[in-house]
Amino acid sequence: MDLIAKERDRVLQRAARVYGLSFTVASLLCYLLPGAVDGTAAIGIGALLYVVLAGAQFMLGISRNPVWVLLTLAAGIGILAIATEAGTASLGEGGMTALQLLMSGSLAAVAIVLTGTAWRIVGLGAAFVVLTLASFWLTSASQAPLRTGGLLVLGWFLAGGIGVWVSAGVPQISKRIASIGRAHRAERQASELEAQRRQSARLLHDTVLATLTLLAHSGVGVTPEALREQAAEDARLLRQLRLGSTPTPQASGSYQLESGGDPEPVLGRTLESVKQRFGRMGLTVSWHGTGQVLLPSEVLDAFLLALAECLENVRRHSGVTEAHVTITEDDSTVRAMVTDAGVGFAIADIDEAKLGFAESVVARLRDVGGNARLFSAPGSGTTVVLEVPR
Amino acid sequence: MTAGIPEENTLGIVVGNAARAVSKTAKRLGRAGARPSLGSAFLALGADVFVVLRAVYGLSWFVVFWQRYPMPGAAASAWGVLIVVIVGAVIASRAGGDRMPTWGFSLVLVGIAAAVTLDLIAVWDLHDLGRTLTAATAAGAALLLVVTQRGATELLVSAGVLGVVLAVAMFLNTPPDAPFDADRIAPQLAAIAFTVLPAVIGVLLVQGHRRMVQLELDRVLVQSTVSAPRYAVGMLASEELARLDLAAERLLDSIATKKTALPLTPKTASLAASLATELRLHLIEGRRETWLYHAVSESEMLGRSVTLVDKSALAGLLDPAQRDGLLAAAWMLVSDTRKKAGPHRSITIQLGPLAPSTTTRDDHKIPIPITITSSGIRRNRVDPSIWAALGRVGRYSDTTEEGSLRVDIDAVVDNPADV
Repeated sequence: MDLIAKERDRVLQRAARVYGLSFTVASLLCYLLPGAVDGTAAIGIGALLYVVLAGAQFMLGISRNPVWVLLTLAAGIGILAIATEAGTASLGEGGMTALQLLMSGSLAAVAIVLTGTAWRIVGLGAAFVVLTLASFWLTSASQAPLRTGGLLVLGWFLAGGIGVWVSAGVPQISKRIASIGRAHRAERQASELEAQRRQSARLLHDTVLATLTLLAHSGVGVTPEALREQAAEDARLLRQLRLGSTPTPQASGSYQLESGGDPEPVLGRTLESVKQRFGRMGLTVSWHGTGQVLLPSEVLDAFLLALAECLENVRRHSGVTEAHVTITEDDSTVRAMVTDAGVGFAIADIDEAKLGFAESVVARLRDVGGNARLFSAPGSGTTVVLEVPR
Repeated sequence: MTAGIPEENTLGIVVGNAARAVSKTAKRLGRAGARPSLGSAFLALGADVFVVLRAVYGLSWFVVFWQRYPMPGAAASAWGVLIVVIVGAVIASRAGGDRMPTWGFSLVLVGIAAAVTLDLIAVWDLHDLGRTLTAATAAGAALLLVVTQRGATELLVSAGVLGVVLAVAMFLNTPPDAPFDADRIAPQLAAIAFTVLPAVIGVLLVQGHRRMVQLELDRVLVQSTVSAPRYAVGMLASEELARLDLAAERLLDSIATKKTALPLTPKTASLAASLATELRLHLIEGRRETWLYHAVSESEMLGRSVTLVDKSALAGLLDPAQRDGLLAAAWMLVSDTRKKAGPHRSITIQLGPLAPSTTTRDDHKIPIPITITSSGIRRNRVDPSIWAALGRVGRYSDTTEEGSLRVDIDAVVDNPADV
């Protein structure tokens, strides 16, 4: 399916319409001048045929149906026959100007659309021959055939030339556009890969986001030294990311804050680092329940991200400096309950689209098949239950 | 390295202007201004050939009339000026850029005006401008020399002014006792038509051609989404992400190296806040957008008239052939650029919701219901090749709803939960 060919046809059809209609108008004006043709009947019927001709040419711009080409030619030859009284009357120069504009201008417009396929070119030849013979026969009394024929050839050659020329340019254009398209596809794939690499460094971005959020609150509640330490660490990781090292998902559990972390993705150990991080920011996290849980690394990532996000919310909004995290597990699920005794809030007040909870907690957990539930009421603290499959 | 405000609001660009940014590229390439002009040089060559042929035709009449001129010198200099204009414009357009500078265009116009004036002076006393003007009528066609290099409006205005000047001259030139009849007026009308129409038709043809190139570029650029993975971030997202990462790195670095004092000034704090928000948005963005979303948002054509409803991101499951078919069908439905159909044409593509499966399939496949509802598109007005495109997506049935087309497709895809 060649969509550019369709577009090309549309361009040619519209060109044919404008070309034909403008010459039709010029020819009609000449035709209606006093003395161009004899007899009111000839003027009346001729004008009617001009209207038919204009209608057919208008349709030529919309439809590729050959009917409109035939109708255009039929109306044109009809006008010739009416004006010359079927070849018997001799027209003056005014009348012949009208007919010449009609034959070499208005009717030649069909040549623009009769290009492209072999059948159309055959049609073009046939149309030209028919019109030439008809015009020789009908205008022989008014004008030498050589002059009529010469102008006909000129007009049809020009119109056909437009069609051929535009069509001839299309393959080249289409080739160039296709190569632009290929380059664009390569660019898209490269950009996609790069974005994936950066997005896969989720834990890194998580600590960066946490630090940025701290900074957004002007680092209130954290000692400048701790903040600087944290900022230096995050900047170093971002630099590594920028310089092209791809943190592999297996290692992502360990690169957050401590150097030379535990090789095994043990939950207890990583939880400790989360606890330390929040400790530095002034939120005491008390740990309860299971200390050692083994999780697949991407589940662990999501779980930790969600947990850290919840703790960050506690730190920022609850108004208390202590949070409790209880980890429980059964055969299929690991569950964390984050509880604080802070101000709480009305569940209905949080906007679904608000980024904090829906995106960073729920979306991340759902990605790995988990879920999050939120319980709170103004004045009675908040509890978040995070669940991930084992 | 110091912390700086990112040059622009990256979020604003991605949410609002990603599509515009891409289609701006398409526009730039499709416009006559850029060097890789995609076919307009070829069109210009055709126009040059036409102008030269037209000049040769006019010149031969000039030779025929030579004996009759009361002032042959003026007619000859009119042709001299016109030939200089034609040769100069052809050389300038071949050697120069794809856009003619305004002073160059002014020179062409001055040359044309001079040729017309001289030609009018030469034949004024014959009182038969319709038949005897040669250089003046060829001068109208000479406007085609710059048709790909100048705006449509200025060319149309120039052609119009030329036509009016000739008409006024013909009126003034008519002796008071001349009869109002076809033999005298018709050649004058024809002369004006042959002067003005080439430029008008040329301008419209070039406009249509440009539009064709731009549409095709837009389509081909969007076509690259067909091979995208199930979820993709889109063209500019990674660039944005990289920029945000860099901005964050600079900010953190400047804090770590004490270039930025703690506690932060409100300005820097708000910079950190906006960075965090944008970064967060970018990190979640990639997960829920499918190739079809990107195709619609990046394309000027589709973005204007396609509404996509795909809550469960089912479009990502379609295989490349199905995507290609769906994209081609959507394209053909909305790309029909007829004026009357223009503003109201819009389609909604809805994927899903998945019907609860009644029978279990044993080929690890799942049917996705796709519904294309349209407004302003009549059943008998759609391009027939659309059905072939839809056939590549899946089994379809079409109905007419309030006079507009509605297509239901059952696209069968690999079940992602059953691998």
